[in-house]
Amino acid sequence: MTPSLHFRPLRPAVAADGATTLDLMITVRSPEPPAASTKQRPGLNLALVIDRSGSMAGSKLSHARKAARFLAGELTERDRLAIVTFDEDVNVLVPSQPVRDPLLFISAINTIDAGGCTALFDGWLAGATQVANQVDPQGLNRVLLLSDGQANEGLTDADAIAAKVEGLTQRGISTSGFGLGSGFDEDLMGAVAAAGDGTLAQIESPKQLADLYASELQGLASTVGRKVSLGIRAKHGAELVDVLNDLPQTTAGNLQLLNLRYGQELGVGVRLQLPAWAPNQEIASVRLAWDAPDAEGRQELIEQLTLPVKPQAELDGLEADPAVAEQLALLQANRERRLAIEELDRGDLHAALASLAAIDKRLAALPQTEGVQRERRLLTEKQALMQQDRNLSRKRLRNESLRSSLNVWEGDDDNG
Amino acid sequence: MVDSSLLSLAAADGSTALYGLDELLAVAGERLGEEITPRTVRLYATEGLIDRPGKVGRRAVYGQRHLLQLLLIRSLARRGLSLTAIAPLATCSDGVLLAQLRQLEEPSAHQASLEPMEASSAQQQEALAYLQSLQSERSPSLLPLLGSPLSSSSASPSPRRSLSSRSAGRSSAASRRWHRFSLAPGMELHLSETASIPPAGTRREAWLQRLLERLREQLDSES
Repeated sequence: MTPSLHFRPLRPAVAADGATTLDLMITVRSPEPPAASTKQRPGLNLALVIDRSGSMAGSKLSHARKAARFLAGELTERDRLAIVTFDEDVNVLVPSQPVRDPLLFISAINTIDAGGCTALFDGWLAGATQVANQVDPQGLNRVLLLSDGQANEGLTDADAIAAKVEGLTQRGISTSGFGLGSGFDEDLMGAVAAAGDGTLAQIESPKQLADLYASELQGLASTVGRKVSLGIRAKHGAELVDVLNDLPQTTAGNLQLLNLRYGQELGVGVRLQLPAWAPNQEIASVRLAWDAPDAEGRQELIEQLTLPVKPQAELDGLEADPAVAEQLALLQANRERRLAIEELDRGDLHAALASLAAIDKRLAALPQTEGVQRERRLLTEKQALMQQDRNLSRKRLRNESLRSSLNVWEGDDDNG
Repeated sequence: MVDSSLLSLAAADGSTALYGLDELLAVAGERLGEEITPRTVRLYATEGLIDRPGKVGRRAVYGQRHLLQLLLIRSLARRGLSLTAIAPLATCSDGVLLAQLRQLEEPSAHQASLEPMEASSAQQQEALAYLQSLQSERSPSLLPLLGSPLSSSSASPSPRRSLSSRSAGRSSAASRRWHRFSLAPGMELHLSETASIPPAGTRREAWLQRLLERLREQLDSES
């Protein structure tokens, strides 16, 4: 019932008589879910923080209310929920309490109406305090932050907010960032969800909110590991030169991975540079560490990486593993989206389009599996969208670029 | 606490029992284990949370429905719900009121595991202390300027970090903490930390105006 670590190199051996550039997928495999009904999910301790600034008026807020009612209805008396709204003021609508009676929450939710500015940080702080008051070290403690706007009241700097969110993550309370519509700050929401060890969602239609909450609850219920970190220590003169995923670093210099969920796999693509290698010599030691919901203290798993050693001449004749080549290419495609975003931000539409075309060209050279075809379809859509709606294409690109580094909600199908 | 005998009585007997205000207060007070003042009932009536009383001659009379409304409102308010949030529930049909009350009062099978975690949970203290330090970094908020917090609930002992008045912000969610400030000799205002005060300007003025009107209403109804 614990996760496992697997290594899969692009080429199956390293050189004995010269340097090797070793491309490798490290896969973290979460355990399969236990048989139904054998185990109750841990209780959830949630705060739903809802933006009620002026821009939320109308159908957005009515959908937000509807989705919040849905959320309250899905929780049980084993869970706690607090509801906080914010515009330039923060209002704790329902202080944290067990969801014995959803009606009680629902009637409170129905009173939410639209107000003024967006004091996003203050809203988060109030929601976080509700969760902290009731924090359950064995349970799942999370703030769900829903906003459609730019933070424009109180603390507004994305990095500063993310740093504060991360401080709370270290203390056992995670944060998910849900951006709604076309006006929210995707960089801020991405930073909050990454620092918060939570889910990032960008919802273009408020109608998707209920699906998102359902998926968030399911994700929380199937979480087997939180505060997951991966430490890669190269040995004997080997050097870790690149990590393809855009993963935040922990204070100890390890990579921070997303939460482990039952039956889920997470691939990390790395490149190591090796000098001439001796047989049976360990290349790297990889340590996975996590907090389990029902166990005390840090859990850990350590695996050593060793590979067959062959003469350089023989290596050149070995086939690359097509599955690894595909995974690495998809990670690369996420990374290069960030380049396209930078080009967009500089106002260089041509360069951004060219970057996307370059990704597609590389994908076109691979066997056209389902995964590769889907990726190419996403890229084609973005190329078309970039010329019609730059803001929306930027949001979607940001969302896709973060898929390999945090939990990104992708809705029913390709952004609906 | 509402016991089931009351609920079954209420269910069996829709409207015949009539109380004067004092009787209503006594019955409700006993069931709830708290003293309820005439002023509270008048406030709820003014707010539309409780139906207007009937009249027998010049005397206001209350029925079973009034009692149910009062019990539900107090039970919800004690759980921290605002009156605005309670209002839609309090105007439901008698059957719904009764169902609500039952649900609120039924001891839950899982209740034990739900009640606040051990007060000494290290993680809780650490997370709260951290959030309070974030609060105190922010520009001084209004409440600390107005007065110092009353005692915190004994169920949540202060974290190591001192809970000085400076670290408490208006958006802090510790709903058990209250601030008080003195308005005039012999007169104090108590404000929950969860109460939000509009920023200075027209919104604040409108808010103060509403408070003033509310106070005037209260005084008028007393005289």
